[in-house]
Amino acid sequence: MSGLRTSLYQKHVDLKSKIVDFAGWDMPVQYTSVKEEVLAVRQGAGVFDVSHMGEFFVEGPEAETFVDHLVTNNIIEAPIGKAIYSPLCRENGTVIDDLIVYKLAPARILICVNASNIDKDFNWMKSQVKNFNVKLTNQSADYSLLALQGPKSESILKSIIKSLPELEYYSVAPSQWQDQSYILARTGYTGEDGYEIFGNHQMISKLWDELMKQGVTPCGLAARDVLRLEVGYPLYGHELNDEITPLDAALAWTVKLNKKSFIGLEALKDYKPRFKTVKFILEKGIPREGYPVLNEAGEEIGTVTSGTMSVVLNKGVAMARVKLDKFNSQQNFFIGIRQNTYTATYTTKAFVQGGHK
Amino acid sequence: MATQIPANLKYTKEHEWALIEGDTVTIGITDFAQSALGDIVFVEVPDVGSEITQGSTFGVVESIKSVSDLYAPITGTVLEKNSEVEGSPEKINEGSYEAWLIKVKIKNPQELSSLLSAADYQNFCQSQG
Repeated sequence: MSGLRTSLYQKHVDLKSKIVDFAGWDMPVQYTSVKEEVLAVRQGAGVFDVSHMGEFFVEGPEAETFVDHLVTNNIIEAPIGKAIYSPLCRENGTVIDDLIVYKLAPARILICVNASNIDKDFNWMKSQVKNFNVKLTNQSADYSLLALQGPKSESILKSIIKSLPELEYYSVAPSQWQDQSYILARTGYTGEDGYEIFGNHQMISKLWDELMKQGVTPCGLAARDVLRLEVGYPLYGHELNDEITPLDAALAWTVKLNKKSFIGLEALKDYKPRFKTVKFILEKGIPREGYPVLNEAGEEIGTVTSGTMSVVLNKGVAMARVKLDKFNSQQNFFIGIRQNTYTATYTTKAFVQGGHK
Repeated sequence: MATQIPANLKYTKEHEWALIEGDTVTIGITDFAQSALGDIVFVEVPDVGSEITQGSTFGVVESIKSVSDLYAPITGTVLEKNSEVEGSPEKINEGSYEAWLIKVKIKNPQELSSLLSAADYQNFCQSQG
């Protein structure tokens, strides 16, 4: 049985990518080699079809105040043209999703959400509209989305789209290409410079073909996961879920407790985190999701939430959720891998320093 | 690209190959397996002197994103392991029939009859798509 397919599905098949199910979508997990795809993004340019992600629009005079009320990060104070990463929480502070808010105009905001959470997010947001003077629409089916990532992204995209708007990192602008409207954002989830391009299916299909002609490497979900993990970005369903708050997941920087109000503020103001989300590097062994994190005494203090071999470091890297009351950064840590335990070095820095500006 | 399946080897349905020479078997993973795994970055095989049992796991190969168990084609004692491949697992991607993993002294020669011929393995791979 086939799953949902993006408008570019046939191109992925023609490129002989390996297709897997992801959140109900038939998505390319890799084209040639995960390693080559990761290095293309770190050193040159790679493109991801992320059309499965959700696009919601909030329009109307109270668009800014509504979105500011919905999410934990500060939306009101950000100028028009900014992109803002934020968790979306319930009243009790638990995380519904993490998303990016794009301030297109004072009365027009785009929210891009995880594919796996589209229905959950939309139903939640709809239930919160209440008396706000806004129109909330789910336009996910009308948009395709490409993430062009890597240090050469700007020069390549400029060679295709002559009128490309000048954008700072984490900003956005509506624009036109060959009489088609699209939304250009200088965002992404790889830690590298790059763009996310929201457009209609036809326009995105044409852009994909142009990017292929320029020699941009098509990249799959596996490379995307390695890239985000190397720079220490959380992924919903791994570092984030319905049971924990952003304060358990190293996202305190996105929770603006000084805002007058937002959904979850009361709960998060007084919340004592139960967990800490931390990073480990292994000289030997590859950590994987679900592997136990142990302290010197051999006591299990947490679990790996994401793990992989870092392509850049050629070492095992992990993000893990550990019990805060059992965590002492001065201790030595170990990760249990099958019948063995391997030394894991705690680090507060990103495994790889991305090149974004 | 068609997968390589040398005629002189025996195979398992878990995609190991076995080269039988007298009472010794050399074991590795097939071209089909290395291609499915992608970039192999880690190999864990038992030490010399360990016992392995036909059909049971004896180690793992890991690609960047996945972990796959290795299944023993035969019961026996590990005589030798390929430390060169342990140190450079990408050699399996470069040539999975050269990059052997372990050599084993056969305990029960009658187990050999349960292994697949090259023709049988080829049919099996085709049935796997």
